[in-house]
Amino acid sequence: MTSDVILVLVVGTALAFDFTNGFHDTANVVATSISTGAANPQAAIAVASLLNFVGAFISISVAATVANDVVDASVITPTIVFAGLIGAIAWNLVTWYWGLPSSSSHALIGGVVGSAVAAAGFHVIIAEGLVGKVLIPAIVAPLLAFVVAGASIGVSYRVIGRQRPGIVSRGFKYGQIISGGLLALAHGTNDAQKTMGVITLALIANGSLGAGADPPVWVIASSAAAIAAGTYSGGWRIIKTTGTRIIKMDAAQGFTSQGAGAAVILASTHFGFPLSTTHVINGGVMGSGAAKRLSAVRWGVARNIVVAWVLTLPAAAAIGALTYAVTSLFGNGAVGPVVVTVLSLAAIAAAFARRAQRGAPVPVQSG
Amino acid sequence: MVLAEIVEVKDLVETVVFATVTGIGVTAIFSLAIWGAARYADLSQEERPWAAGAAAATAGLALLAVLAVVVLGVVVMTSK
Repeated sequence: MTSDVILVLVVGTALAFDFTNGFHDTANVVATSISTGAANPQAAIAVASLLNFVGAFISISVAATVANDVVDASVITPTIVFAGLIGAIAWNLVTWYWGLPSSSSHALIGGVVGSAVAAAGFHVIIAEGLVGKVLIPAIVAPLLAFVVAGASIGVSYRVIGRQRPGIVSRGFKYGQIISGGLLALAHGTNDAQKTMGVITLALIANGSLGAGADPPVWVIASSAAAIAAGTYSGGWRIIKTTGTRIIKMDAAQGFTSQGAGAAVILASTHFGFPLSTTHVINGGVMGSGAAKRLSAVRWGVARNIVVAWVLTLPAAAAIGALTYAVTSLFGNGAVGPVVVTVLSLAAIAAAFARRAQRGAPVPVQSG
Repeated sequence: MVLAEIVEVKDLVETVVFATVTGIGVTAIFSLAIWGAARYADLSQEERPWAAGAAAATAGLALLAVLAVVVLGVVVMTSK
């Protein structure tokens, strides 16, 4: 009975995390379309939300990595997964509150690793998986998106030559419907799978699934619904940072940055690499800007974003470890997770109330 | 443990190659489609129907190629 209560809390918390992931992270996917005027904000977010939902059903490779290749599932308990999730949600809320792009993916993995280490020691980490499937791809992917977007915009300008700007701009804006849609699909398939992986890990830890099992259909469907709902709910503040403050871009740059991002995320997902879509899309945006004119990129903003990225893993790990320590104060039963859940809900309500008092974040202007 | 043993080099290299080829390739082909559309508009105004038709055909074929690559990409994704 106790383990079932904790498992229900874990599933609920994981889906709440998935919602915050969509709320916080997916906005980056539509920022480029909105800032170039290719789509109006409401339509872009609605389509991204739908494609996030669809994308979640495409693959389970990333879910398998999160469930089996990062920490040793045999020593994990549902309480450890719960503490890791709280660490990730807390870091997502902090970065959302201050309008900083972060990485929900790294927050999730950092949170779970931190709570697992606090509970069982460093031997619980699977170094091959954490380094080979998470950390190295985390560095390679945004750089790859930067290079591909930079090369793409160079090729594009060369092919287009001196054609009339009006037709070219309109063409790339239409193209952004495809590239933006692909990016949303790619985001859904990579990010929703991380939640699927964590819920699967908890189910394995609880004995509800065998070791190495794939996510059940209800886990896939509920994760897809949660990230789609989160995407639809917002993220205006982060749209503004990504879409307008890094560079002022034209439609061709928007198309190439989205195309590069989608290609990198889809390829990585195929091989089971859990990426940060935020890192990848920002890498693409900077690449398309830098290739046109280095000074067009506002490197100060880019530096702040990089600092936030670097902080994500250790910060989420620290909060995850702290959460596990607080949970342990109440013993091994369900009391600890219930107390932490109540405290977390209170903190979230306070953050939203304070944000509402200060005024809603300003949406980016389209056109 | 050697880094090469930890990192799944083959998967990583394939990811880099796939993303580079499709990312740059799709942009190049789509740019060709826009070039074709722009040339079609100009050539139509100049009343050169054959050249305008060729430009329109280029635009149409390029657009079809982009859609084919997108569909193929999603199919490859679902094949694992």
